Amino acid sequence: MTLANAMLVFRKDWLEIKRNMQVIAPIVFVPLIFTIILPLIVIVVPTVVGMPGTQFQFVGTLFQSLPPDVRAAVAGMSAEQSMIYVFTLYFFAPFFLIIPLMASSVLASDSFAGEKDRKTLEALLATPLTDGELMLGKILVSFLPSMAVTILAFALYTVVVDLAAYGIFGGVLLLPNLLWIALVFGVTPTVALAGIGVTVIVSAKVKGYREAQQLSAILVLPILALIFAQIGGAVFFGPLMILILVAVFAAIDVVVFMIGMRLFHREEILMKVL
Amino acid sequence: MGVSRALAVKATDLTRRFGNFLAVDSLSFEVEEGEVLGLLGPNGAGKTTTVRMLACIISPTSGSATVAGHSLCSDPIGVRRSAGVLTENPSLYERLTAVENLEFYAHAYGISDSERIRGRIRELLEFFGLWERRGEKVAVFSKGMKQKLAIARALVHNPPVLFLDEPTSGLDPEAAKLIRDMVVELTERERRAVLLCTHRLEDAEKICDRVMIISRGSSKIVGSPDELRVRMAGSPKLEVRLRGSSDGFVSCARSMPSVRGVEHKDGTLIISADDVQAVTPQIVRALVEAGAEIMSITPSIPSLEDAYLKLIKEGAGQ
Repeated sequence: MTLANAMLVFRKDWLEIKRNMQVIAPIVFVPLIFTIILPLIVIVVPTVVGMPGTQFQFVGTLFQSLPPDVRAAVAGMSAEQSMIYVFTLYFFAPFFLIIPLMASSVLASDSFAGEKDRKTLEALLATPLTDGELMLGKILVSFLPSMAVTILAFALYTVVVDLAAYGIFGGVLLLPNLLWIALVFGVTPTVALAGIGVTVIVSAKVKGYREAQQLSAILVLPILALIFAQIGGAVFFGPLMILILVAVFAAIDVVVFMIGMRLFHREEILMKVL
Repeated sequence: MGVSRALAVKATDLTRRFGNFLAVDSLSFEVEEGEVLGLLGPNGAGKTTTVRMLACIISPTSGSATVAGHSLCSDPIGVRRSAGVLTENPSLYERLTAVENLEFYAHAYGISDSERIRGRIRELLEFFGLWERRGEKVAVFSKGMKQKLAIARALVHNPPVLFLDEPTSGLDPEAAKLIRDMVVELTERERRAVLLCTHRLEDAEKICDRVMIISRGSSKIVGSPDELRVRMAGSPKLEVRLRGSSDGFVSCARSMPSVRGVEHKDGTLIISADDVQAVTPQIVRALVEAGAEIMSITPSIPSLEDAYLKLIKEGAGQ
């Protein structure tokens, strides 16, 4: 197996993907919701409607579940400041896991199962490229753009939050901080790889892009569970949670890639199309 | 003295099962360099499965084969490098341009010299009349243009062996002729071996050195188109159309020693003989002397289609 051949597959797939609006649209628009719309709602709405006097009154039970160090951090803040601080720095963090997951599963569905839809698989499988080169090329084309989108989304989120909160916090910049850097560079790669691994498995068993994408969408469920668990006070997105997520997703990556590599055989893939 | 030619493809008892379905049943054949072997058969006969096995896209259930000296089982990469494959579908990346498609495949087949790739792509696109459209996405190409580009892709790495699955499918007569001429040139001048799957008997008759008719996965008959015509549909016949009834002249025709059989229908005598051309003057003379008024004489050569249909009908009846 050579990296040059894997990169050949990567470049070909990337050329196709960037000309496919069906794939590019969700990868561009979903991050825009999380990076611009959500933080602006949290920052602008309290300013417009006016916050109640007591700082924990508005968010009630949500704030009661905060860890002591976060409570201490917001202790001296106004209701508006504390709400923006907690939401933008902690509660929105799990949403950022949806970006690499969504992007990687959309890209992997197109790259792996899309070849079946477009009936391009047979000629590709007739080339001397090995199964390993094909798989690595397709993993790269799913992983690298997913990570690029996630990092760009993080940069945009940082700018939006800092710009919007700059005046409210008297010139203090909220982002980037260590927690978010660990989230973006530590957790999201493992999440993206999990998305790709599951999509590889699903793609080997389905006949086309849509089916692969629909089945891969179930990956969002654990992230949604995490978001609701945080809202309910069961978990909190802090350093411990980051470590747990890295460990859990790394374990998932190992398992799904072992299964995926076992399933990724040119003959098996082609037989599913016939 | 015959020129000995190297074996390009050798299949021995090639068999493929899909569950309980036997798609290809112990197929054995050889293709020499510079030769076109046509695989002729109805839909589902096993032609495409045979090509897929030989191109190392799927593996045989049993049996073995070599392509350009590389074994399917022990050296699949060598087989893939040596073979150009035109698949059943054009299998092109529609969001890429013609040049981008060919560049990808040239690199995938191991050509690293960019200058060589550019030259080869230009040569192929000019040959197929696609050079002016080289920068357009394949999605806007007509079916015929896609088929030509897919053939160009199969040739991009200059393979010694070509597997062409329905190469003239979807092409207009002019384009189909271009492809047939190209196959002849590739085999006669460049000494490449071609295994050609086709439904089009015209292709088989015009460009195949030998034809293997397959049905239900197994070989029914192999030979040159001429041999198959004679073996399956019989020798050429002579159709003699007479003015008035032909009844009275049947015995006259039958009395000639070289005539093997005579049928008559609607004022026409259909005469079978070992060598129709040689006996035609004698037959004409005998009939005229017997008082027949001959309107026309037509040698009736059985077509490959007759042979093919007869064989397939026999196979279906089994």
